[in-house]
Amino acid sequence: MSETGTTTAVRSAAEEGLASCHLCGKVSPVVEEHCPRCHSKLHLRKPQSLQRTWSFLIAAMLFYFPANLLPMMDIKGLGGNSSDTIMSGVINFWKKGDFLVAAIIFSASIMIPILKMIALIWLCLAAGGVISAAPKSLARLYHLTELVGRWSMVDVFVVAILVALVQLGVISTVTPGPAILSFASVVVLTMFAAMSFDPRLLWDRHVQDQEAADSGTTP
Amino acid sequence: MKHHLPGLSWPRLSSAPIQVSCHFCDALQEAPRLLEGNAAYCCRCGEMLYQNRPRSLARATGFSSAALIFMVLAHSFPSITIDSGGMRRELTLLEAADALFHEANPMIGVLAIVFTIIAPLTLMGGLLYVAGPLRFGIALPGALNVTRIFQLSEPWSMLEVFLVGILVALLKLHAVGEVHLGTGLWALIGLVFCTAAAMSGIDKLELWDRLEIAMHKGEKPAHLHSAEEHPQP
Repeated sequence: MSETGTTTAVRSAAEEGLASCHLCGKVSPVVEEHCPRCHSKLHLRKPQSLQRTWSFLIAAMLFYFPANLLPMMDIKGLGGNSSDTIMSGVINFWKKGDFLVAAIIFSASIMIPILKMIALIWLCLAAGGVISAAPKSLARLYHLTELVGRWSMVDVFVVAILVALVQLGVISTVTPGPAILSFASVVVLTMFAAMSFDPRLLWDRHVQDQEAADSGTTP
Repeated sequence: MKHHLPGLSWPRLSSAPIQVSCHFCDALQEAPRLLEGNAAYCCRCGEMLYQNRPRSLARATGFSSAALIFMVLAHSFPSITIDSGGMRRELTLLEAADALFHEANPMIGVLAIVFTIIAPLTLMGGLLYVAGPLRFGIALPGALNVTRIFQLSEPWSMLEVFLVGILVALLKLHAVGEVHLGTGLWALIGLVFCTAAAMSGIDKLELWDRLEIAMHKGEKPAHLHSAEEHPQP
């Protein structure tokens, strides 16, 4: 069972005019328009998948800058006033010796959003045929972006918890900063971007490339 | 009109071979019958197509009811209590969202409520509403829409992220005052685990296959394949 043998023998549902329902997974002819089982709209591929993913991605990238440059929260207390951006918060934790917290916040708030955006750009370029990569590694990349995206929300929740608990304290007051809105936007927008991306486009491209290569060798 | 297929523990509407297409590479292939605990993988890209989870409906029902009980506890008891300078503050899920609503931006407050309260409730309540009656082969009214809604709310349920948020906040709070962990926190941990167990208890494909049968109950077999109205050309 060689790999090229299986890929040419297997037909995709779209080639047969069949669409698998994105909600319930039932395979039905796309001409029926609505899934006979769950009444969702049927599509061979997610409509305008790449355009939608790109627009969500660009919006997310724009929000990434205020999210990191503006303060996440202001702390007023006996030890003086401080206003922390995400990065200065990480540095403070690191200096205090809380390496674990510093690592959690750094990876959840700074690394994951940027890596997720780079991964999605990479996937869009691969689906658009600009770059070529093995579909198996792209699959792994796609699953990773789906899995880790939500964890960036952790910093927004930390601010929420601190604000709720230290709001009326005599010793100190915590108020949320303007970055929090941008930060939540980055998370939500990258989640929408990942949802609107259709991984089947990667295989469509892969099959196309293979066919082109086959016809190139045997003209 | 249900058929018990050899090797497959969940019934299907027809005994004819069913085709599935891989959600990752769209390869069209026959859906093999599986023994409990086995999974089917795509013949082209190796993605998991579906799984036959053992005692799926019992698990989905049990864990989602447990999750709902934990949810009530998590809302009624504070998860963290902090004493500082003669002041006592308590944290519940609703108060965390409320703090954002009033102190930051109403939009963020609403997002926090959706992520930590509404989405988890929809997810577990919806699963129980659908999976519970399905154990007796019944689909309650609106089961189809409920399934659609709870499936869509799944990525937005972020209680496990909130839990990590609490752990990070705890380390910051040591500087502020005396911190006590409350019943709410343990309930929250239980809720996160039960939600994960309930969602992984039943495969999406199995749930829809069973729902399809329950909804077609009482209808004549002739209607099975033309349940939808076809406009005459």
